[in-house]
Amino acid sequence: MIYPQTMLTVADNTGAKKVMCIRVLGGNKKYAKIGDTIIAVVKEALPNMPVKRSDVVRAVVVRTKKSIRRQDGMYIRFDDNAAVIVNMDNNPRGTRVFGPVAREIRDKNYSKIVSLAPEVL
Amino acid sequence: MVINTELCALSEYRIYPGNGKLMIRRDGKPIWLGSSKAFSLTVQRKKAAKLVWTQAWRRLHKKGLSETTTKKRSRRAGKVQRAVVGASLEDIKKKTAQKSELRTAARESALKELKDRKVANKAKTGSKVAKKATQSQTFQKVPKHMGGKGKRGGTQR
Repeated sequence: MIYPQTMLTVADNTGAKKVMCIRVLGGNKKYAKIGDTIIAVVKEALPNMPVKRSDVVRAVVVRTKKSIRRQDGMYIRFDDNAAVIVNMDNNPRGTRVFGPVAREIRDKNYSKIVSLAPEVL
Repeated sequence: MVINTELCALSEYRIYPGNGKLMIRRDGKPIWLGSSKAFSLTVQRKKAAKLVWTQAWRRLHKKGLSETTTKKRSRRAGKVQRAVVGASLEDIKKKTAQKSELRTAARESALKELKDRKVANKAKTGSKVAKKATQSQTFQKVPKHMGGKGKRGGTQR
């Protein structure tokens, strides 16, 4: 459950380390789940990288602490809230994705993120 | 039909599809938990070895394994070399150490000697044998079975 003001770790190599959600895209959504797109502001970033502090970016939520329900009734939950920064075409701006990624990402056609992820669970 | 089941990380019970939670740690290692009880205890960082109802505890305290272990034990006779009536232990060891070729050669030479001796004996007693042969010719041969073939005692089928 990613609300505005929620801090997320960034699971790619764009240079941003932490982003804060400022808006959930897609209609009148109160909070974002795995696979949802958000508008975020970069709070922490590495120097000399394409994404800088206080940049406003689009990001896709790939991991949430809130468990999500699978079709077979099983629940899956991660240890952190994480997002991958994307451009306007929903392609990742980085060239790598760190950590496991939920399978729900694939269902929402973020195939580039899935292919870059080391593990899809 | 084969149902894919997972093992609960805490209790080691089977998790059937549609049950339980999958927790993914920060390092990406998935942890399957079969029930809310197991989930709750894991979040509280309880050790499975200290909970009596888990398989880990049962394994530590050797519960429910006594039957299987006792059955497996069976005695097997060990091979021991020792002296037998005529031969001492050293003799036997010497013989086993010898090569098989040596032994066969020895046997053959012994056989040859025996044959030679037999031939020599025959040559000595040759005259006696001839006499015996003439005596044996005087005996008459008696045929054993008088009846023809086919008919014999016993029931006919």
